[in-house]
Amino acid sequence: MGIFLSISVYAVYLYFGLRLISHALIWFRASGGLVTAGVPRAKSTCSTRAVMLLDVFSFRRLFEVDTPLWFGSWTFHLCFFLVAMSHLRYFLEPVPGCIACVQPFGIAAGYVLPLSLLYILTVRLAAGRKRYVSYSNYFILILILLISVSGIMLRLFFRPDLIGIKAFIIGMLGFSPGVLPESPAFLVHFILLLLLVPYLPFHIFTAPLVTMEARRRDDALRTVMHD
Amino acid sequence: MTERRKSEEKAGFTSGLTPLQRMEIDACTLCGECLRNCPVQAVTNRPEISPPEKIRMFREFIKGTEGLKSRLFGPGRPDRRLLEDFTKALFECTTCGACGQNCTVGIFTQRLWPMLRKEMVKKGLGPIGPQADMPEAVRTTGNPYKKPAEERYSPWFPEDVGVSAKADIAYYAGCTGAYEAQPMVRGDVGVLGRIGEPFTMLPPEDEVCCGFPLFITGQHEMLEDLTKRLVGAYKSRGVKVLVCSCPCCVNIMARDWPVFYGKELPFKIRHITQFVADSIRAGRVAIKKELKERIIYHDPCYLSRGAGIIEEPRAVLRSIPGVELLEFDLHGSNSRCCGAGGAARKVFHENAIAMARLTIDEAVEKKADKLILSCPACYAKVNEAMEGYDKKVQIVDIMELVAGLI
Ligand code: SF4
Ligand code: SF4
Repeated sequence: MGIFLSISVYAVYLYFGLRLISHALIWFRASGGLVTAGVPRAKSTCSTRAVMLLDVFSFRRLFEVDTPLWFGSWTFHLCFFLVAMSHLRYFLEPVPGCIACVQPFGIAAGYVLPLSLLYILTVRLAAGRKRYVSYSNYFILILILLISVSGIMLRLFFRPDLIGIKAFIIGMLGFSPGVLPESPAFLVHFILLLLLVPYLPFHIFTAPLVTMEARRRDDALRTVMHD
Repeated sequence: MTERRKSEEKAGFTSGLTPLQRMEIDACTLCGECLRNCPVQAVTNRPEISPPEKIRMFREFIKGTEGLKSRLFGPGRPDRRLLEDFTKALFECTTCGACGQNCTVGIFTQRLWPMLRKEMVKKGLGPIGPQADMPEAVRTTGNPYKKPAEERYSPWFPEDVGVSAKADIAYYAGCTGAYEAQPMVRGDVGVLGRIGEPFTMLPPEDEVCCGFPLFITGQHEMLEDLTKRLVGAYKSRGVKVLVCSCPCCVNIMARDWPVFYGKELPFKIRHITQFVADSIRAGRVAIKKELKERIIYHDPCYLSRGAGIIEEPRAVLRSIPGVELLEFDLHGSNSRCCGAGGAARKVFHENAIAMARLTIDEAVEKKADKLILSCPACYAKVNEAMEGYDKKVQIVDIMELVAGLI
């Protein structure tokens, strides 16, 4: 089972990596930089760069358009980040101090994560068919909900052999997969996560860049006709 | 199939897009938040022609021709039906950019949609209906309406205004104003005459299309030539400031002419409201007559969102003694398209009329005496929408109004 799971992991990540490279080739095929013809560029001062980063991390645009959804979405992304950070302890030996520090936050975020997803689902369903329904978004949302619920189950009810799991993961990373500890609940959690990887939307890479460029464009709008 | 078409099919769907635009396509989260600001959605209520659905479909084409599978096993042929649905949705859009203004990620849709249209034109799927006749019309008559050059100025040009052969200031009337919204251009020239600074204009046969209708419908072949002809002509007249009242012309002149010209323009581009607001501020002209009315100003999409001109028209209107200036609920950079944009008004006529009537409805609801416009396409379409409609408001172009009050 351990070998089979390891091969699946390699296959999934290989697929994801190739997909990412193929998209990166599409993104950068033209020789030009990140400039749209006909759009003036504002000077990037330190303060604009800071505001651009703030736009990205605060999801300002979503906040302005739909505050209730922003609340759920921002909470979800923060929790997802904290949970992902705290999971790094299974991949690194010795565990760096900063990752160890994140642990209490990661654990708390693990509980908030499914709540934020349920909240997002409720806000979306309440908006009803008046808006656009993306079934792929619902699929990913439900998949992450299942992953987070199975994670909570592991923590509260089906505590697996964490030392064995870490040895298995580190072995897998070193291309010498070992024996998978007996834990059906962990298996469910792990397989669900594997299922998610191929469906990860690429906006996670491109949306921050587009948001930063949007700020630059908004600033430059003043110079289009007012130079 | 011609060699050119074959090579264009091979080029996939992104060859004319910048890296940023390709990223924008992947950056859409399909959240659907932009739907509530889309005027086409407001009148059709069809999410299948919404921004995220267009992006989703376009992703399918990219996936089929440039995605991982196609790289490994060769490109597939996109479904013809999907291509046609996508093209129709793309051309039904007014390219007003409200979706981008309210995009949770910040996708610049006012620019992305026209560039995707260009891709579909390259594939032979667009443009739609009479839009396809525009390049030939511009080539033969200099304007997309196939109207003779002799009629460009003569029906509306005020007799008491003189034009210099050379001057620092030039006025470009634009095809839509000259042929379809004549009270507007008459007002422009009237106000310029009152300001009294010498200005020049090209002879009617030389004042050709600025290229915007071709740009917006994805037919870019003639753009460089048109730009160079116009810029060269104004340069030879010693022009330092080119004034124009059409937001679409102003937009392409300020944003794209430098690209097609290959370098910075030898003159500045100014919208007429900027020029008049400056003149009022400098005391070169004053609006003396009183107007005790409630007026409501509609921001054209390509003027507010496209060129950032929001304050100047309001400054001009506020300088009218006695006037009460009202605002639409959606105004400034959030304004709602009147339906005339994106060269869709002649193809998706019913949508355009329904959108224009939303503007009329709100103006009537707010008890405005006059609805003030500052775009010839809005002017033509909103007037058309008023025909046979039970709600009525007087439609006036901003310079038409000002010319009558100076
Ligand atoms: S540009 Fe305007 S009409 Fe087109 S999809 Fe966006 S909001 Fe709708
Ligand atoms: S708001 Fe932006 S990210 Fe959301 S669906 Fe519309 S275009 Fe896509």
